[in-house]
Order: sequence, then C-alpha cells, then structure tokens
Amino acid sequence: MEKILEVKNVTKYYGGGQAITKALDGISLDVEKGEFVAIMGASGSGKSTLLNVIATIDKVSSGDIILDGQNVCNCKDAALAKFRRDKLGFIFQDYNLLDTLTIEENIVLPLNLARVPKAESDKLLNDIATKLGVVEKLKQFPYELSGGQRQRAACARALITSPALVLADEPTGALDSKNSKLLMDAFTMINAELGATILMVTHDSVVGSYASRVLFLKDGKIWSELVRGNKSRQDMYSEILAVTSALGGDGDVR
Amino acid sequence: MFAKLAFRNVKRQLGNYLIYFITVSLTIALMFAFNSVIFEKELLARADVLENMRTVLIMITVAISLIVAFVLGYATSFMLKLRKREFGTYLTLGMTRGNMALVFLVESVLLCVVSLATGVLLGLGLYQGLMAIIVNIIDINFSFASYSLNGLLLTVGLVLGVFALSFAVSAIYLSRVSIYNLLNGAKKTEKAVRYPIMWCVIAVAALVGIIVSIIVFAKTAVALVAGSNSIKLPALIVAMLAVFAVCVVVLHVGLSRGVIGLLMRTQKFKSRGANIFTLRQLSGKLSASSVLIGMLAFLLTLAVIGTNVSFTMQIQTNAILDTNYPFDVQASIRRSLPIETEQDSITFDQAEKIVQKYSPIKKRVDFTVYTTNRHDVVDFANAHGAGYWADKDMYIEESAFNGIYGEIGYKPVKLGDGFMIVSYERGEKVDFSAAGLTLGGKRLDYKGFRKCSLPVHGVSDFLVVVPDGATDGMKEYSDGTVFSLKNKRYDAIALHEELMVSHETSGAGDSIIYYTTTDYGLREYARLTMNMDNAVWIVTALYVAVVFMFLAMAMLALKTLSGVSDDKQRYITLSRIGASRRDMSRTLFMQIFTFFALPFAFPFILGLPMGIVCSSLTSAAGLSMAATQTAVAAGIIAVVMLAVYALYFTATYLVSKRAVVPVN
Repeated sequence: MEKILEVKNVTKYYGGGQAITKALDGISLDVEKGEFVAIMGASGSGKSTLLNVIATIDKVSSGDIILDGQNVCNCKDAALAKFRRDKLGFIFQDYNLLDTLTIEENIVLPLNLARVPKAESDKLLNDIATKLGVVEKLKQFPYELSGGQRQRAACARALITSPALVLADEPTGALDSKNSKLLMDAFTMINAELGATILMVTHDSVVGSYASRVLFLKDGKIWSELVRGNKSRQDMYSEILAVTSALGGDGDVR
Repeated sequence: MFAKLAFRNVKRQLGNYLIYFITVSLTIALMFAFNSVIFEKELLARADVLENMRTVLIMITVAISLIVAFVLGYATSFMLKLRKREFGTYLTLGMTRGNMALVFLVESVLLCVVSLATGVLLGLGLYQGLMAIIVNIIDINFSFASYSLNGLLLTVGLVLGVFALSFAVSAIYLSRVSIYNLLNGAKKTEKAVRYPIMWCVIAVAALVGIIVSIIVFAKTAVALVAGSNSIKLPALIVAMLAVFAVCVVVLHVGLSRGVIGLLMRTQKFKSRGANIFTLRQLSGKLSASSVLIGMLAFLLTLAVIGTNVSFTMQIQTNAILDTNYPFDVQASIRRSLPIETEQDSITFDQAEKIVQKYSPIKKRVDFTVYTTNRHDVVDFANAHGAGYWADKDMYIEESAFNGIYGEIGYKPVKLGDGFMIVSYERGEKVDFSAAGLTLGGKRLDYKGFRKCSLPVHGVSDFLVVVPDGATDGMKEYSDGTVFSLKNKRYDAIALHEELMVSHETSGAGDSIIYYTTTDYGLREYARLTMNMDNAVWIVTALYVAVVFMFLAMAMLALKTLSGVSDDKQRYITLSRIGASRRDMSRTLFMQIFTFFALPFAFPFILGLPMGIVCSSLTSAAGLSMAATQTAVAAGIIAVVMLAVYALYFTATYLVSKRAVVPVN
C-alpha cells in the first residue's frame, strides 16, 4: 500500500528553562492511503499535539513528517499554506465554521483560495453537499443549523478539495450520541466510498471503534496499537475499552 | 482590594487602552491649549474682539466637550466589550454589581488623573504652538504666552465632566447587562443586509443631493458676495446647508449598507480568493455601524469645511487690506459736516504731529475730492450693471491722483483730454465712452478703467479722474490726505485711540449719548483687528477639526480593536483551511482599510470642491490673487488629514495583525 503519512522520530517540547514539557517523545508512525486511523489516549498524552504538528499548525522540535512524499518540517509559510489547502482537510470539535459566512460560502472557501473556477467549484459543492446531506442548508448561516448539521458541513468543507489526508480533532466532542453516530457513519462513508484517508483524535471508545486502526498514546509515546482487520465494530469496541482501562490504570497489563 | 484590582487591570489592559489613552490625552491637551488661549492676558489687552468673543469661545469649548463626552462614552463601551468575560467572571465569583461599578470607577479615576496630567503637560507645549500660530497670523511681537489659572480650571472642570458622563454611561450598562451576555457575549447573528440595491439608490440620491446643495450654495453665496440684496438668498443658504448635512449622513448609511451587499451579489468577485470572507466581515460591521459612520463622516466634513473657511477668511483679509487700506494712514474730512462733529475733527496738521510720535512720516499727500452734485456717471454705470453705491459723482484731479498713487507704486495716468474711472470693484466691463462726460463745456473722452482702491471711504464706490482744471466750478466735497510711514509695525491700537474724537448728542428726553469717531483709517490697526478675528476663528476651527479628526479615527480604531478577539478565531480557521499569512494580511488590510476609509473618503475628497467654492468666493470678492492661496490651503488641510488618518490606520492595522494573523 502507498504511504500517505510518515512520522519519523518526532519530538516536541513546550516551554523553556525549568518548566519544560515533553509533549511528544520520539514518536514514529505510518498511515497508508485509504486508512481510517484513530489516535486515543488520556488528556495530556500528546494526541492533540501530534495532530497539530501533522496539520502544520505547530512545529516539531526534532524529527520529520512526510506527507504525500513531502517533508513538511522544512517548508516555508507560503508553501505550508498551499500544502494545507491542497493536501489537508480539517474537522474540529467546535466545527470551525466561519460564523459570518453561509454554509455554502464556508464549504467553497478552500476552493476560492485555490482559485478554482466557479463552474467547477459549484459542481464539487453540489456533489459533496449531496453526499453529506447538507444541500438544503447551503444558504443558511452556521448558527441556524444543529450541531450535527454543522459538523457535516465542516466535513464537506474538509473534503471538497479531495485532500490526501483528513485530520479530525475530537469531531464528536460537541455532539450528542445520536449525532455522533450519524457523523461516524459519514466518516465511514467518506472513507469507504470516497477513499479519503482519515486521521482522527478522540477519547471516545465508541467513536474510536469506527476506525480501521487505533493508536494509543501515553506520555508522548505510542503505547499500544489495535488493528480492526475482520473484527466487528462491537469486538473492536471491547478491545478498545480493555486497552483504555489498562491505559488508565498503572499501564502494566501486557 | 478593589483599588488593587482596578490598578492591576489598568496595568494589564495598558495595550488595549493605549489608543484610547493617547486620544484622550491629546484631546485634553488641545482642550487645555484652547482654553488657555481664551484667557491669554496679553492677547486680551490687545484685542477688544477677544473679550467679546470669549463667551462664544467658551460655549464652543463646552459644546466640543459634550461631543468628546459622547464619543468617549462610546469608546468606553468598546473597552467594556473587550473585558466582558472578566466582568462576567467577577459576577459569577460573587462580586456585586456595586463592587464591579466601584472597580470600574477607580479605573476611570486612574485613567482620568493620568490622562489629565499627561494632557495638561502636553497642552503646556501645544498652547505655545497655538499662540505661535496666532502671533504669526496677527504678525505681532510676542515672546512668551503666559499661563492662566482660569484656563486650567476650565479644562479640569470640563474633563471631570466628560469622565463623569462617560462613567455614568458605562455604569448604567454594567448595572443592566446579564451575566450570560457578559460571559458569552450577546449572540450576534450576521444577517445579510436586506435590499442592498435600495440602499445603493439611496446613497446615489444623497450624493446627488450633496452635489446640488454645493452648487446651489456656491451660486447663492457668490451672488450674496457680489452684492445681491434678495431676501430669499440667506434662507436658501441655510436650507442648502441643512440638505447637505442630512445628505452626508444618508450617503454614508446607504453606502455602508448597500455597497457590500451589492458586491456579494457579484458571483465572480465574491468567489475569488478570500473575498467572500472579507465581504462578510465588513458586511456585519458596516451595517451595524452605518449611522455611526454617517455621523463621523459628518463631523469630519464639518472639520474640513471649518478649516477651509477659516483659512479663506485669513487669505481674504490680507487681500481686503490691500484693497481697503492701501495707505498707512488715510483720511478724508467732508467740507460741510454737521456742526458738532466739525468742531471736534482732528485736522491733518494735528494728525501729522500725533502720527509722528509713533513713526516718522516719509511723505504726506493732500488732495481734494470734488462733486458736481449730479449723478450722471453713477446712473450710467448702474444702468450698465456696475452696481455702484454712490449718491453723486465724485471727481479727483489727475495730478492729485498721481501724487497719491505714485506713493504705492501705481503708474501715473496720462489723461490728455479724457477721463478715467477708478474703483476697487466691478465696472471693468462697462464701456463708459458712451457716458458722454462734458465738464465746463468741454467733452472728455473715456480713457479706460483702473481697478484700484480709493483713498476715500463711505463716500462713493468710484471716482472719476479728470485733467487738472476740469474741476473748476465744481463744489469741493471733501479734503483728503494720505501718509506714508517709515515704520510699518507700530502701536497702531494706541494711535487709533489718539485719533479718536468723542462726541455727545442729545438722545430721547434729556439723555445725552456719547460716542467716538475717527476720520483716520490706519492700515496697521485694520490689519491687527481683522487678523485678531481671523486668528481666533482659525485656531477655533483648527481645534475643532483636530479634535473631531482624532475622535473619529480613535472610534474607528477602538471599534476595530474591540472586534479583534472575535476575528482571531476566524483567522485561525482561515489559516487552517489553507490561507497563507499573505492572504490573511491582505484580507485584514482590506477589512480595516475599508472600515476606516468609508467615513474618511468623503470629507477628504470634499477638500477639492471646497477648495473650488472657497476660491470662487474669493474671486467673487474681487481677490483673484488670494483665490490661488485658498486652493493651496485646502490642499494643505487635505494632507494633514491624510497624515492623521495614516497614523491611526497604521497603528490599528499593525495591532490587529499581531493579534489575529498567526505567526508560524
């Protein structure tokens, strides 16, 4: 399989002097094209930091991150912006939809930034909005939509540029269980039908069970890994719960 | 504990308060400088006019303070908005609203004391600068302007009033706002502006209104200056000013609500780069602030008009001086005066002795003005549109005319057997050759018109210059004299006093009315009094203009900065979906530039038609040289405005950029 993402021995420090914190401690991982990977761990384990450095929102202290064949650690600001625009899609817990823009304007904004012609962007908008069930809501503002609808709109915006990697940071964090399930079904659909590669951070075992692989982080290191393979989602969920409880205990269960 | 909290707050918020603080301090400095001018002792001693004007000036400074109070109240509410969360947290922690108001009061007092101290300190210097401008305009020797306690007290009183008012506004807000709103901010919903086309049409209509009112105003004013006596004209001028004021506000409301909405309808423009983001950012802000923008534009427009008009007055004064007082000293005494005045007149010889105490006399030329007691020439001139005011024709002999005017550099006239018309205005286009002037049985040919000032006042708008001897048989109407002095600057006020004569006349019943008159016109005295008037008005106009400009720019800056925290999250999102720092900087620039430019552009551009109107008014007053200077003054005003604008815009842009554009 083709590797989309390679994280090689990445370390990230915060602070300075006496108050230095090691958020990532020599982490290495690969994500292959078409994979749906979840990263789980307790708070402070470094999962959001990992997502941020992959997202090029934050910089690594050492190590390399190679995304779609390009080392993002050596890029300048303008190249990084282009990279985010063309290769990455973002889905956040708080949706990150621009409150001043309509849903349609929010979804096509990445295409506008990439100077995609109007006719083409209209077509892409129509396709993605239909798939995510937000066609009816295009002319409305984010505040007029429910949380689930907003998150689907955010998914549409993340996917409209057909990014190499979709990064999701606690995407169900602000949703109730029903809307969480709807969103995860949407994730499964975009992963299976649209072939999108997804890297998702979550602390919710149910949400994690939708992934094809789950990485567990502890103290900035990969502590354990679960691969779904042919297991049912229920089995995967049970295994995640087992690892999570072990992770939450003294960590010495192996 | 509250004092400590307040002190720490001010210290911590210093960055946010900086623009607010600078504006308040500069405004106080201007206020103090202006108030000190009102009470300047030496200036008062020189000018009766200032004494009379003081009440008006105090009213102006109080009115300005009210505007300052309103604007500061508004600005304070922006500052409150920046700190909503903090106040919300205080309330959730159990602090009462009274405690919170106390914290805010202590902060306000701190800010008031510090900005008052800074403002007065700055004002001490600024006052000397203002006095330098005044002294320069009046052109007198003046070493150091003294400070007066009254000026300081007036300033302190006004500033305390301003702060009390602005605190009251904020205290009312804090006593009513809900904790939820403080913590979460009133949920604003960005609605698309409705009916953008209608608002654009309204804006265009207002623009037409502005253009029509300027044209009608200019024409009416020119007609008035040119001497029309129609009663309707002043009313028309007031009506046009009102139309202009309303249209300026409406134009900006229309533009704020219409243009962005219209741009959002253009699909191509909207979907280019981050345009839609910029448009949406502006749309909400502009439509919510449309009335404020209209008001600011109006204040700035007033500032532009005020300064232009005051400078035009000054330029015209110098031209009027040349026209009305070409000689250092000039006098004319009528031969047949009412008995009581004749008795008291100072003769030319007596005057010469008095004048010599002030300046050596270079030359004295006496002359006589004659009349036929007829009004043939004036009737002819007025029948041909000259519009002269005179009840009879006045004559002067060629040699006397050349004697007088040679002194101020005029070429001598050579009449031969002809006559010439001289007047300081109008009449150039009248062909007097058909007037058929026959004196002593001899017909004189018309030799032309000369535009120049007259050595006689209150007698006639024009003189007929005739060959020596042609006045034989005419009645001697008045005797005149002109002195040319060695010193151009002398104590003209004292000389003027000495050349006054007092009279008494019986009034109603047994009452006696005392009054003073003088037959002597002193150029230097006229210059001093006219310039004193102008200096006061120019300084007032500059004060008003600068205060308005500072306040308007500060409000725009504060309003922009108070929205920065909301903007920050939006720009982070923009960055995540692939906007580069350059894209974001450009977007932010456009957003702030448009917001600042909207109320500023019109008053700035108005400088052009204002320059033209002032120039044409100056020309209409017969002062064509001064017209050019008026245009130059309008240009200088525009440049100064641009500089203040650039200062505030740049500061706001850089502060916002640092806050919202993420640094990688």
